[in-house]
Amino acid sequence: MIALLLSIALATGAVLACWRARRWSVGRSAPVAVLRGALRLPRGYFHDVHDVVSRDRYAARMHVLAAGGFVGAVLLVFAVHLFGAAWPPLVWLLMVFLFAMALGALYVLARRWPKAEARLSKGSFQRLPWSLLAFALFFFWASLPQAGAPPIDWGAPLAWAMFALGVWGAAEMIAFFPVGPMKHAFAGALHLVCHPRSGRFGAARPDSALRALDLSAPRLGAETPADFSWNQLLGFDACVQCGRCEAVCPAFAAELPLNPKKLIQDLARAMDGTGTDARYAGSPHPGREIGRARGGPRAVLIGVDAMIHPDTLWACTTCRACVYECPMLIEHVDAVVHLRRFQALERGAVPGKAPHVLAELRETDNPGGHALSSRLDWAADLSLPILAEGGECDVLLWLGEGAFDLRNQRTLRALVRLMRRAGIDFAVLGEAELDSGDLARRLGDEAIFQSLAQRNVAILDRRAFSRIVTADPHVFHSLRNEYPAFGGEYTVLHHTTFLAELLEAGKLAPRAKPEGKIAYHDPCYLARYNGEIAAPRAVLDAIGAERVEMDRSGMRAMCCGGGGGAPVTDVAGKRRIPDLRMDQARATGASVLAVACPNCANMLEGVTGARPDVTDIAELLDRATEGP
Amino acid sequence: MGQYDALLKPLRIKGLTIRNRVLSTGHAPGYAAGGRVTERYVRYQEEKAKGGVGLTQFGGATATSIENSIDYGQLNGATDDIIPDYRRMAEAIHRHGAACMVQIRHGGRRERWDIANWLPAFAPSPMREPVHRSFPVAMDGRDIARVRADYARAAWRAKEGGLDGVEVSCANQTLIDQFWSPDVNRRADEYGGSLENRMRFGLEVLGEVRALVGPDFVVGIRMSGDEMIKSGLGHEDCIEVARAYARSGLIDFVNVMAAQGRDYRSNALSYIGMDAALAPYLHLASAIKAEIDLPVFHATRLADVATAARAVADGHIDMAGMTRALIADPHLVNKLREDRVDDIRQCVGAVYCIDRVLQAKDALCIQNAATGRERTLPHAVAKAEGRVRIVVIGAGPAGLEAARVSALRGHDVVLFEREERTGGQVNIAARAGWRESLSGIPRWLDGQVRKLGVDLRLGKEAQVTDVLGENPDIVVIAAGGRPNPGFFKGAELATTTWDILTGRVAPGERVLVYDDNGAEPAPSAADYMAERGSKVEVATPDRQLMAELGMVNFPPFLRRLYAKGVVISPDLGLIELRREGNGLVAVLRNEFTFEEEEREVDQVVAEHGTLANEALFDALKPHAVNFGELDMRALVAGRAQAIAANPSGRFRLFRVGDAWTSRNIHAAIHDSLRLCKDF
Repeated sequence: MIALLLSIALATGAVLACWRARRWSVGRSAPVAVLRGALRLPRGYFHDVHDVVSRDRYAARMHVLAAGGFVGAVLLVFAVHLFGAAWPPLVWLLMVFLFAMALGALYVLARRWPKAEARLSKGSFQRLPWSLLAFALFFFWASLPQAGAPPIDWGAPLAWAMFALGVWGAAEMIAFFPVGPMKHAFAGALHLVCHPRSGRFGAARPDSALRALDLSAPRLGAETPADFSWNQLLGFDACVQCGRCEAVCPAFAAELPLNPKKLIQDLARAMDGTGTDARYAGSPHPGREIGRARGGPRAVLIGVDAMIHPDTLWACTTCRACVYECPMLIEHVDAVVHLRRFQALERGAVPGKAPHVLAELRETDNPGGHALSSRLDWAADLSLPILAEGGECDVLLWLGEGAFDLRNQRTLRALVRLMRRAGIDFAVLGEAELDSGDLARRLGDEAIFQSLAQRNVAILDRRAFSRIVTADPHVFHSLRNEYPAFGGEYTVLHHTTFLAELLEAGKLAPRAKPEGKIAYHDPCYLARYNGEIAAPRAVLDAIGAERVEMDRSGMRAMCCGGGGGAPVTDVAGKRRIPDLRMDQARATGASVLAVACPNCANMLEGVTGARPDVTDIAELLDRATEGP
Repeated sequence: MGQYDALLKPLRIKGLTIRNRVLSTGHAPGYAAGGRVTERYVRYQEEKAKGGVGLTQFGGATATSIENSIDYGQLNGATDDIIPDYRRMAEAIHRHGAACMVQIRHGGRRERWDIANWLPAFAPSPMREPVHRSFPVAMDGRDIARVRADYARAAWRAKEGGLDGVEVSCANQTLIDQFWSPDVNRRADEYGGSLENRMRFGLEVLGEVRALVGPDFVVGIRMSGDEMIKSGLGHEDCIEVARAYARSGLIDFVNVMAAQGRDYRSNALSYIGMDAALAPYLHLASAIKAEIDLPVFHATRLADVATAARAVADGHIDMAGMTRALIADPHLVNKLREDRVDDIRQCVGAVYCIDRVLQAKDALCIQNAATGRERTLPHAVAKAEGRVRIVVIGAGPAGLEAARVSALRGHDVVLFEREERTGGQVNIAARAGWRESLSGIPRWLDGQVRKLGVDLRLGKEAQVTDVLGENPDIVVIAAGGRPNPGFFKGAELATTTWDILTGRVAPGERVLVYDDNGAEPAPSAADYMAERGSKVEVATPDRQLMAELGMVNFPPFLRRLYAKGVVISPDLGLIELRREGNGLVAVLRNEFTFEEEEREVDQVVAEHGTLANEALFDALKPHAVNFGELDMRALVAGRAQAIAANPSGRFRLFRVGDAWTSRNIHAAIHDSLRLCKDF
């Protein structure tokens, strides 16, 4: 009886798994090293996934019990009840697993009933604790005879009732494993094996560089689900709707119309034949009602009446908080940029001020449309050495777009003073410097980015220097991580790393301690994109700052709202992201909010009302090392 | 583009890069001594450079020739002795990244013959000039040749002194524009008659200058865009002159101003203050810029960075002369760069600075006491080591400044003000319509003290118990004064200027204003009443009305008073006032003959300054460590106060501004800065 049940469930499960996998086959082919991926699976799970899961201690305990129990139990259930291996210790072990699973189910239950945590999706997930319990309870009861209890009297009403429970449990946990709430384990395991960014496993630093787009391809970017690679589609299906991304998304917090969980669900549901979000049971994209999205595997994804509203797409700041928090290792930002690429390159449909900014980039090689010769206007009295073609210097100071902006010229002046004080042999490119292309790339205009990158690489290749230093984490990320794809391999340092080195080497001697408490705001492109969270703090510690941390800091810091072109696409929310971030800074009682990025400086300094002073680390160090 | 980007763009002139478009034009602050640069002068100019200015032109009207009289504390550029002085100045300015030039001129007939070397003035024609009252020598050919060579040599000294350029002044009636102007040039030779002939001398001068300094040294001229007198050069003539001089290829920039300096009225137009709107002469410079291909500089009431930035951004001018704005706040550019525009102390156009120079005193800013006193007073007040509790009584200019400086020192400051708003007597002075800009002085101070977290208690007249209850370490009484009609018989029948300006008492029909002060209050009240239809006579025992004011400040008053038919009667003292019927009889006595005359009027408005409000000060004295005594030697020497005569004293007690005695806004602010910087 039980063997029959299991056989039917298993067969159904196998059929449904094949049916499910067919969804992904609409995607583009992608080179996947399956064997290497399979070998990586245990470490991928116990290291990469568990790293993320364990950031939530409760969820970690829950998952160890429920998932560990289930995996152990299901294997032994097959052994004992399908293949008749009724060796008592094996049965006892099975019962231990089932007990653990039931305990895990209670954990699941406790966070879903009577009221589920806000970030969790409801719907079929609300059944999960009960189906886990049903499965555990039934097989525990069904295994009692093998453990020495009297055989089951299948004629008794209790047996029928238990069997009904068993049918439901086996259906949920085995038959519908690839399609129900347990789908996350099915697709998740495959996603780990076939992950589109195999480079992120076992890497010393975040694998955060966007992949270069082949601009000669017949279609640029993603218009429909079919334009994603099949393993990206698999990744969307792996989403367990835990809402960790939702909980950290700055756009969601400010009630811009973006919920990263819903975005991934939109992409997953678009793969259904009759794609709709009607059965989505989590938080919506703020301000948008559920049930209106329509799509299909080959239907347009972005549109007012399509699966994803354009405002949702353009509300993303590319801060990677969602990616960093995703236990299923889904790459939200890659998906966003891929979608944006189609909008920018095939449709020219970029919103807000973005078309203007992109046009300026195309025409003038900088987003502000300034004459490149004016990049040094702020330094007319500093006589900065210019690194001409064929020239040589130790440090090439890449000024970036901050050089056109009053606020960040102060940072650059401080940095120049520090370099002079430390006796660094440095130079700037002057009017030869072009925009790094970061903004264009995040807005999806890969063509502009590649053109700028290629030309910047050519410019840099005609000059000799040992390393590049920049005060702009976006420039830092592009040059360090994204230019190698275009032949530009350089040692690139963010200015905080460089300044920490100078302090370490004794080339700068702090003499004045800053007053009051200082909170440091990690730039996304320095922390999550590049893993650098220590150097800025080392500089602050070196000047004797009374350093305090915001609730969200380091790799888990919240975005200022200034990345990914968000300030130019300017999608409206209920609040402004920098206002939220500044509230967190205020809560620390800091009198100074230290920053290390021109975008952060502008976004946070734009916050009105009483607030800490927004000061770049270079400015703080400059003040601390100023001569008498 | 940021709002101020245009102002922060570098400007290249030949090999010179000027880091931004903010300019301090040539002026004589009166800090030179014996025609030489002094430490005070260097520090004054250096502060502008430190504060971020692009170009500073010092040595306003530096003499080129031995006959120049140097009567406003100018530099003597007529000898090689000046070269090391230039170097010293250049070094101090360049150290901070600013560029510097000297302005040179020969004053022509606008010189005095009876100071310096007792040589006569020289001019195109022998016509007396109204301000200097000299009768000049009409220059002959040899004089012309000598002066041309003097100009060239003076310009060469600027180059030798390491300066970035030289400005040859052809404005305010220098010898060159005296040749230009048909009002002054009545010659019949090749230097007179047609405009071409009148322009000849200046072109010859510039030709010799260029020959001596070479093609690369920056040489410019300053000129008027409209002489604003019928017999002089009109706007079109000035454009023609600019065009011809630009076409000559001899010069690298043109600095445009307005009017000329032949008399009091003209001076007041040139240096126009709060009686004009912002940027009143921008159109003159703009018209010249449209006609020539050289950078155009311009100053006059570009009082704030927004006005200056627009003037540059809209293409009217290339360099924004913010000379007075920089006197009010030499750190203006740095504050702009630091996004602290609200912290810029903005020039209100009180022309206190120029007025003092034209009275042969040193230039001082009505609201920034540190300007010109850089050696002893800070522009940026540093934090003190310790932290004390300071109570300030009165939020007029003295009290606000005391609170501002004390708060910048890092102290806890409580500021009591009896009225519901800050500003004190300035609020009354600003009631005279055209003088409303004065309110900018307390407005800035008010903004600063609020920003600095001063505990401001408005509408609260502090009593002894209030002060003691605060447990202060220091108490500063800045309670100001109360109006005093004077000490003549029947003074109680008089109305005060405060009564009139505050609107407490309506102006009468026939009014005698009696000014026994010499400063602005009485003419302000007279103007205010005449404006409202009163028939006004102003009498004063002084030789002239507004004896305390200089030739930039009294002309706008006189223009108004005369235009409204106000009768001005100098040399008359008011000795008695009595009631007769419905009216008043004022007995006036001639100061020289003692002859008495009477006026029957409805109202007598008498002005005799203020009497200090000393009640609280006197009541607090017994509680004070110093019994309220000020060590004036220490104050003047810039040392902290240390009198400790009262062993049971609980705090130190001081008074500042009119609470000490009747003076002016500058004195009030200076008292507080000088005292409180050492708290």
